[in-house]
Amino acid sequence: MLNFIKNKTYNVELVPSSKNFIIKKNQNLLSVALENKIDWPFKCRVGSCGTCVCKLLDGKISPEIDFSYVLNQEQIKEGYILACKSSVKSNIKVKVKLKK
Amino acid sequence: MKTIFFNLKYLLVPFFSLITILGLLKGGLYVWTGVLLFVFCTLIDTLTKNIHLKAKFDANGNSYGVKYFQYFIMYLMLAIFILLQVVLAWRIYQYVDQITIQQLNFYSFSYFNGITLNNLIGAIISTGLWAGLGIIYGHELSHNKKEGFFISRLIMSLSGASHFTYAHVYQHHLHLAHQDDPATAPRGRNVYMHTWLSYAGQCKFSYDLEKEKLKRKGKSFFSLENKWILGYLYSLPSIVLFVWTGGIIGLLSIVLVCILSNFLLEALNFMGHYGLVRENGKPIEHRHSWDNDSVFTDWFFIAIGRQCDHHVRGETYFWELDDVKGPNYGIGYFTLFLFTLIPPIFRVYIKKHLDNWDKKYANKKEKEIASTFKSY
Repeated sequence: MLNFIKNKTYNVELVPSSKNFIIKKNQNLLSVALENKIDWPFKCRVGSCGTCVCKLLDGKISPEIDFSYVLNQEQIKEGYILACKSSVKSNIKVKVKLKK
Repeated sequence: MKTIFFNLKYLLVPFFSLITILGLLKGGLYVWTGVLLFVFCTLIDTLTKNIHLKAKFDANGNSYGVKYFQYFIMYLMLAIFILLQVVLAWRIYQYVDQITIQQLNFYSFSYFNGITLNNLIGAIISTGLWAGLGIIYGHELSHNKKEGFFISRLIMSLSGASHFTYAHVYQHHLHLAHQDDPATAPRGRNVYMHTWLSYAGQCKFSYDLEKEKLKRKGKSFFSLENKWILGYLYSLPSIVLFVWTGGIIGLLSIVLVCILSNFLLEALNFMGHYGLVRENGKPIEHRHSWDNDSVFTDWFFIAIGRQCDHHVRGETYFWELDDVKGPNYGIGYFTLFLFTLIPPIFRVYIKKHLDNWDKKYANKKEKEIASTFKSY
């Protein structure tokens, strides 16, 4: 039962690139994207620089850090998140400008 | 079996901290236990300096680390550090109240009631050392999880360094190996000067960060959302406890504990990045940190010495960090710490490593920046 919960997987859909990858529940969005060879822009990987910013269009994530030190209130309200500090909680659709 | 050993090997600090607490409770010369353990760790670290292990993963590439167990231990450390302070406060109370020194029993536990000034000094040093070594948990918890971040703040506030959690994530990881990072020691600075400059620099950064955040939100600086003020308020229970139990002596004692633990924290920062440089705006790479991964250091400091990997993959749990063939001192933190205590010796030791870094790791621009420093 615990393994089932631990191994629950979700789909991550990226727009406008139309790329997809599978992620386990609570895994880190940026880490798994990079493991899947997605050319996601990043720099610090601790939620301080804002390079990995993306817009959550659908689904749920859990912020691992307070985003308000990097993103302003309007951005947070509009659904902008930091991929390097986001744990995925459901199937998600994300708008991100990839490097390539 | 592999999983059990893999996870248990990181329990050195919790285990030794509990022994230190037991020493404080036992009283007499036993209050020096924490100091003796520190010496013992230095010896073991030095004797095992040539053993370097890679991180271990199973056939599927998964770590043997059990996340819930490791987090449980890290959260538990908050309680252990509080206990450490409470027991020291009790000893201070005994000293100030001039309790007659005599051997008593608590069930089958025999202990010395009352304490001499010499032993009180031992108790304060023991507490300061292990509160300082425990700061590694404050560091680890500043990454990865939201509730962990809060526990990190509480752990750091016990040493009057609650600003660390914010400054570490939003400043140190962003400006590493650059003059904008007070936690990176430039060439020529000694550990004593670094402790003060790094502490003050991180405190100032955390102040500015909150000021800007509250301004953006249209709120007053004196708001309940001000994490800079709140962080220092978290230190109040410790101060109240020590003043209540020991008056001015209690206050002096907690100040000494904080100085000692912050000195150890800043010594770790000092050793982790001393003299390394990076061009502003360029990516942080493995070469911008010193690795320190001899086996005892690795287990004791929960892999905090794997700085090269940590600064490139900041979201990674400590038990998954690995040797990435970055710049490496080749000796453990305890051994290196002894060198840093005597700046002329440290400079002689570091010269060959910095020369090697300039030659093998630095790019053209970094060599130019490094050449502007006149000493090691």
